[in-house]
Amino acid sequence: MNTVIETDKLSKWYGNVLGLSDVSLKIKPGITGILGPNGAGKSTFLKLITGQIKPNIGTVRLLGQKIRNNYCLMSKIGFCPEQDAFFDEMTGWEFVTGLLKLNGMSNDEVRSRAKDSLEIVELINDKDRVIRSYSRGMRQRLKIAQAIAHKPEIIILDEPLNGLDPLGRRKIIRLIKEYKTEGKTIIISSHVLPEIEAITKKIILIHQGKIFAQGDIHYIRDLIESHPHMISINCSDPRKLAAKFIHKDFVLNVNFGTSQDSLLVETNNRDKFFGLLPSLFVEEKIDVFSITSPDDNLQAVFDYLIGS
Amino acid sequence: MAQIEKIHAPGFWASVINTFSLFLRMGKKSRRTKVFFAISLLPVIIAAIVKLNHVFSSGGGREGIYIFSNIIMAFYLQFLILVLALFFGTSICSEELEGKTLTYLTTRPVPKSAIMLGKYAAYTLLIVFMVVLGVTLSFVLLNMNRLLDFSLYPIFFRDLGVLTLGMICYTAFFAFLGTFLKKSVLFGLLFSFGWENVIQYFPGTTQKFTIVHYLKSLLPGPSTGGFSFLLFRLEPSPTGVSIFMLLLITAVFLSLACLFFSKKEYILD
Amino acid sequence: MSIKEQGYTHWDGELAPGRFPWKPITRYGIKLTFKRKFFKPFFFMTLLPAVVFLAGIFISERIQDFEFMIKGSSTPFTVNPGYFYTYFTSVLFMIVLILVFAGSGLISDDLKHNALQLYFSRPLKKKDFFTGKVAVIVFFLFIITLVPGLILFIMKLVFSGSFQFVRSFPWLPLSIIGFSVFITGFFACYALFLSALSKNRRYVSIMIFGLYIFSDILFGIFYGIFRKPYFCLLSIKANLQQVGKLIFSQKPLYDVSPWYSILVLCLFCFLAVLFLSHKVRGVEIVK
Repeated sequence: MNTVIETDKLSKWYGNVLGLSDVSLKIKPGITGILGPNGAGKSTFLKLITGQIKPNIGTVRLLGQKIRNNYCLMSKIGFCPEQDAFFDEMTGWEFVTGLLKLNGMSNDEVRSRAKDSLEIVELINDKDRVIRSYSRGMRQRLKIAQAIAHKPEIIILDEPLNGLDPLGRRKIIRLIKEYKTEGKTIIISSHVLPEIEAITKKIILIHQGKIFAQGDIHYIRDLIESHPHMISINCSDPRKLAAKFIHKDFVLNVNFGTSQDSLLVETNNRDKFFGLLPSLFVEEKIDVFSITSPDDNLQAVFDYLIGS
Repeated sequence: MAQIEKIHAPGFWASVINTFSLFLRMGKKSRRTKVFFAISLLPVIIAAIVKLNHVFSSGGGREGIYIFSNIIMAFYLQFLILVLALFFGTSICSEELEGKTLTYLTTRPVPKSAIMLGKYAAYTLLIVFMVVLGVTLSFVLLNMNRLLDFSLYPIFFRDLGVLTLGMICYTAFFAFLGTFLKKSVLFGLLFSFGWENVIQYFPGTTQKFTIVHYLKSLLPGPSTGGFSFLLFRLEPSPTGVSIFMLLLITAVFLSLACLFFSKKEYILD
Repeated sequence: MSIKEQGYTHWDGELAPGRFPWKPITRYGIKLTFKRKFFKPFFFMTLLPAVVFLAGIFISERIQDFEFMIKGSSTPFTVNPGYFYTYFTSVLFMIVLILVFAGSGLISDDLKHNALQLYFSRPLKKKDFFTGKVAVIVFFLFIITLVPGLILFIMKLVFSGSFQFVRSFPWLPLSIIGFSVFITGFFACYALFLSALSKNRRYVSIMIFGLYIFSDILFGIFYGIFRKPYFCLLSIKANLQQVGKLIFSQKPLYDVSPWYSILVLCLFCFLAVLFLSHKVRGVEIVK
């Protein structure tokens, strides 16, 4: 698959404050989640790849072209900014059509695309209300509408789920997933981990302006060798199984859960652990009900990486 | 890396026109335009009061055209067009930064200089409309009994032309101020009511460093009336030179505004 | 070791409001103004007239040393209540510029960021909110009116080395205080009123400056046409000058009773306060 966005040693600082440091990335079509706490540098990264600010060091290339001052490239991009800012005296319809007009479309095309995008975000019935009177969720959806209205190839969404209710959130997540099937490139940033987890497995973790990790969530988890993995086992005889684990050097800790049949094992070598586990079940004649990895989620990965 | 086919984006002038129509529509609706529109009609009220007084005092006092050329014009030239140009000129860039809406414009396939020119054209047209309407109504009110006297119209159109040129020039200057100064309004006020008011009375070439000098050069010399102080010590430049200088100042500051707006990095925190 | 019962303890104390709940608003407002770009040098500049007037007092006491400078002057150079009046009216323009910096954003910024509900979700009454905001303006305006006025008065006594000046004008300190308070009170209402008109600070800045100039131009126009001194009541500047003349026991500048000017300015303040109390509320209603 072709690389759509490529950054090389991208760095940006605001006076003494580091915004982003030495970021080299290749982003391919599909959904990529940018994850990090507030102030991590997510928005800086998105502003850099959309050419709104210029890097102090490094380069950005979108679809093989440099982005800064390359306004033609903007017809391929749909950007939903983080800030809750609008031309407040406009109606939702005027806002979307006005911006579409800047893309150089004919009036008919502008009208039909504005209608489509407002229908997608379910604002068509409120299109003639002034934006000032919109609720936070409606404003958020309007920002998304203007980003997708011109059917861009690359959609960049900075914290798009902020301020949305659970229903609205689910709809936007579904919409983003639909775009993936159309072969588009979607970059979505968030500091809420389950949000990203629900959308994509392809993530980039940013903290203090640096990329901590990137790739598949499981792949990232495996990268963290220094941190023990937790494995929860529900079986018929957890104490017998625990006795077998205690002698193994790759097992660091064994705990019994609150229920009678659960066991929580902490290991620093998952491969060895899972290599041994089936044979133990067979040898000791233990019935196994479930095996889960409670820390194999984004939150845990994120916590380990930033050291909290 | 994916190589794309040639990207289609609207041409430069099409972008200017699209930006122009967007902001003209927005400007017409905005509340502040309505407030400034009301303010720009205040001279009409003054003209109406003068006219009523003229009627009730059975024709005494100054002639309508004298009041128009010396009082109404001075009010527009020395105060109103400055305030309008200052607000709308600095708004071109500042309102996008303050409202954090610049992102919506800069992530569209539109050159930044086209945004600047489009907004400049839209806002200039708006204030020209406000002033032209106010001036016309004032003229009609003050000269109601002489509307068929065609000798008045050259004065009217000359004054209208001077004001329009003034707005075009001042708006370009303030647009430039807005692109690179955070405190553009304060410096604009100091320029409008400090520099322009004081330097225009300085002797020799000093007064040529003001915009108002060229505007006043297009008007007749100081009259002997009570308001001649407004043109005190003016050493006018020739008409052709004045028009050329006003257009040159406009072009220079507009180009600088486009350049700054395109090159400068605006951080919306 | 005593064993403490774990649980919820009811607090029997009395909820008493702070003595000066508005103080943080003022402190923050002043701090923010000083942080504004170019404010410090500008504020320093506004103190220059005071230095010039101080030099004037010095010269008046050493008139014989400066005779060569004032040769030919028909009127002797004296420091009297008129001198103080001149100082106050000469800083009116500076005051307006200070308001552009310090007053324009006082309420408009709160409206813009929807911060009013943050204020009123604390033990803060509307009265405290306004006191806090007014105190910001009072702070800056007193520094360029009251403080220099009193310093000039004291320096006059110091330079002259006698109390003759106090004996001649015993009411002058009260006039200085009175006029400073009047100017400050009026401009506080003026700035807060205009600041509450819009969410846009730039717009308010232009209004603060523009209205002051505009009112004066209007007076000029009508006075030019009708030659009636009563049009001075249209001008903020002329009204303040008239009030100053009254407070410093001077002959009015225009042939109109200064009490009318006081009435006009007080009416403006009253309407401004009415508007402010209507506009500033915890919940914004969007129409």
